[in-house]
Amino acid sequence: MKGVPEALRNLRGETAYIDDLPEPRDLLHAAVQLSEGARGKILSIDPSRALALDPAVRVVTAHDVPGENQIGSAVPDEPLLPEGEWEYWGQPLVLCLAPTRQLAREAARLVTIVSETLRPVLDPREAAGQDAFVMPSRTQSMGNPGAAFAAAAFTAEGRVESGGQEHLYLETQGAYAERRDGDRVFVISSTQGTTIVQRAIARVLGLPQSGVEVEARRLGGGFGGKEDQATPWACLAALGAWVSGKPVKLYLDRATDMRATGKRHPYSTDFRIAADKDGRITAFEADYYQNSGSSCDLSPAIMSRTLFHAAGAYRIPNLRVTGRMCRTNLPSFTAFRGFGAPQGYFVIEAALDAISNRMGFDPVELRRRNLLSEGDVTHYGMPLKEVRAIEAFDRVLEKTGWKALRADIEAFNASHPLEKRGAAIIPNCFGVSFTKLPMNRGGALVHVHADGSVLVSTGAVEMGQQVSRKIARIAAKSLGVPLELIRVERTSSLTVANTVPTAASTGCDINGAAARVACLEIRDRLLAHAATLRASGPGLLSLEEGRLLEGSADTSMTWKQLVTSADESRVDLSAHGYWSTPGLFYDMKTERGSPFAYHVYGAALVEVRLDCLCGRVKVERATIVHDAGTSIDPVVDLCQVEGAFAQGLGWALLEELRFGADGRPMSDNLSTYKVPDVHFLPARLDIEFLSETGSPASVLNSKAIGEPPLIYGIAGYFALLEAIRAARGDRIESWDLPLVPEKVLGLLAGTGRVLGQKDLQ
Amino acid sequence: MRITLKVNGGTYTREVEGHRTLLRFLREDLGFTGTKEGCGAGECGACTVIMDGKTVNSCMVLALEADGANVETIEGEASAGKLSVIQEAFDRHHAVQCGYCTGGMIMSVRDLLHRNPKPSVEEIKEGIEGNFCRCTGYQQIIEAVLDASGQLGEGPGQVREGRLEHA
Repeated sequence: MKGVPEALRNLRGETAYIDDLPEPRDLLHAAVQLSEGARGKILSIDPSRALALDPAVRVVTAHDVPGENQIGSAVPDEPLLPEGEWEYWGQPLVLCLAPTRQLAREAARLVTIVSETLRPVLDPREAAGQDAFVMPSRTQSMGNPGAAFAAAAFTAEGRVESGGQEHLYLETQGAYAERRDGDRVFVISSTQGTTIVQRAIARVLGLPQSGVEVEARRLGGGFGGKEDQATPWACLAALGAWVSGKPVKLYLDRATDMRATGKRHPYSTDFRIAADKDGRITAFEADYYQNSGSSCDLSPAIMSRTLFHAAGAYRIPNLRVTGRMCRTNLPSFTAFRGFGAPQGYFVIEAALDAISNRMGFDPVELRRRNLLSEGDVTHYGMPLKEVRAIEAFDRVLEKTGWKALRADIEAFNASHPLEKRGAAIIPNCFGVSFTKLPMNRGGALVHVHADGSVLVSTGAVEMGQQVSRKIARIAAKSLGVPLELIRVERTSSLTVANTVPTAASTGCDINGAAARVACLEIRDRLLAHAATLRASGPGLLSLEEGRLLEGSADTSMTWKQLVTSADESRVDLSAHGYWSTPGLFYDMKTERGSPFAYHVYGAALVEVRLDCLCGRVKVERATIVHDAGTSIDPVVDLCQVEGAFAQGLGWALLEELRFGADGRPMSDNLSTYKVPDVHFLPARLDIEFLSETGSPASVLNSKAIGEPPLIYGIAGYFALLEAIRAARGDRIESWDLPLVPEKVLGLLAGTGRVLGQKDLQ
Repeated sequence: MRITLKVNGGTYTREVEGHRTLLRFLREDLGFTGTKEGCGAGECGACTVIMDGKTVNSCMVLALEADGANVETIEGEASAGKLSVIQEAFDRHHAVQCGYCTGGMIMSVRDLLHRNPKPSVEEIKEGIEGNFCRCTGYQQIIEAVLDASGQLGEGPGQVREGRLEHA
């Protein structure tokens, strides 16, 4: 990012991710053998062939774990290495250490594991039928849906499927570990949360947390995939270092990463929706079957966000939604940008699509008519403030000239039998805060040095989202100094403890706020010191761009002079800042409360062009109007909107995560899993921010930006569905995301199903 | 086997095993860690380097095949600490987020601009279609290439209010 040293290092190829760090001479590389089979039982492990490779080879199994062989944070259902049964295809079974990467991988391959295979369960509905859940089901409701359905003028129902999504962070999972002083470990992890990793390693090695130092440098992308699921690799590296006494590096190759780690949860959902004769939604019900995968991981928190976003950006007076978190023999599905909200959004948008068909009502008008407005209360009892759903939606209509565009598309479709265009507009209302309340806190440590330079450490992990740049701006503004004086350090358990992962879009909100608390404390000490120097009241003094002002007059005293003087007068120039998001409460029994600090609003139009002969789709344009509050850094926010939209569009139209009927991972590299390339994004991508009004309850009135814009990708799905409908001449209903070309051809061919292997035989 | 090759102007002679890839050789034997492994299968482009004037995925080339070759990597892009025109444009247009794809991306852009000093947007897309970026939506990268090739000025098809209008 412009002008930031870290970005310059990236441009020069100098950035040191974990695998780039100089390797100690006695380094051992680590590799794992993954399970072959979706469910099975280890009968015996014979390391002899691996050990025959080299005297330095070590084979590490569950029996070598000195502490507790468990890394499940919410539920103890995740052994670091399984002792008996394994639960998915691709689960690490043993760890091998060797002096070279190649030897380690070969050793891992040569360990002989005798096993028996067991019958897996892959489908969440089948799991639900067997009461196989990672957590008890959860229901939120409001009003009286039963009565509303009985009285409704129109009703519709249907089933919605949404697929998993691979994070495909370009830097795969990895960690480096050293045993130090005999009784502690130092670990560098490619993790979004240093404390999660620290806690898990302490548990596995039987150490106090104080004996586990964890550092996260810049990550090569995270997107949620390194929130909980960086942990096993850091623990394995630490375990390797602990048992061998040597430094250990574990870095996954792409296929291992894609097979072994969790992705976005697939969902299968049944819905029912009702409307009155004027097109007002009166009731909505949904039963979400979340494919949670083999362990609990973050599934309940993700389901929580699905339920909170069940109504999307719409006012629905009667509602009942139930989430089932189904345990299956697939990788443990996990956090991915949006964290359950996109799955919920896709269902409510499918439901609006269905009811608009039933009514013969224009889908854009139906959506607009039901948008949230000021003072509406959500189904979980939270009154909404500074609601901007209609404002954003109307701005999209205006910018795109919607009426003329719609007529233009209709005219095009009437005159082009083999090509069809389609467009859709989707609104956004995204709640910001961790849905798990105790996580809404940030920490920071700020040192002002006697030369005036400032070092800021926080719990936030930099992974390309430019949170460091935003925090530097917040610190500069809070202290009243030029940006160049601020340096934001890597994230380390030595500087900030008890952190929460950089996730839920809150990285800047909470850690930036904590940095501000610390900076303001130091600033106040400096102003008090300045007041003694100038025999002035501290209330009259202020700092701006490195100058001391008295009232609005420059005092001729610089920041550096003030700091040097304060240091000599023994003023403490360091401070720890802590932030606890105020006003949050939630009652799990009644499912009522105020779980979010604020909501982010917006809307987007996506237009596609469909080649009806080969099913090829070109996304022609996207117009996004988004609410970033008072942006701390508009360019960063612009880049985040664009990147999130690209991932949302990829999820909707392109990225198909496949498993075989036996649970075998079929998507294990970029040749078998497509992500957006430069041709996939629309040629016309127009992003506009709503005006900076209002005062969201966040640092400097900004709004979180990481996840909310991903929702706009869903508009791509419905735009393509409209194009398919134009080709077919009917209102076919299919809500099976991603809408990849094979499915498009199936819909165009009239079968409504995917052309698969059976057709080829 | 013994190979001799040039990397960023310097000559290196090393013993290599037959199966060692150029990527591993550059990173582990010579310490040019700016070239990244994203997929190890020739799909993502993070390991792109220029070999004898052509871009290659260095994970798909054996070090032996580079014997006698002239290899250029991201570390050779800046000269005497001064960023190249491409690097400056990437910086100016915020074309870097996590940075993992950046080295390979810049190598592809360098090759493109060498072959075609004034590429159209469509030609830029073709030039970087083998390089995946998971963070951006590629718009900033396209802008940076237009800028690096001196094609940003007034009028349509240009950057306006930070946005690229090239419809």
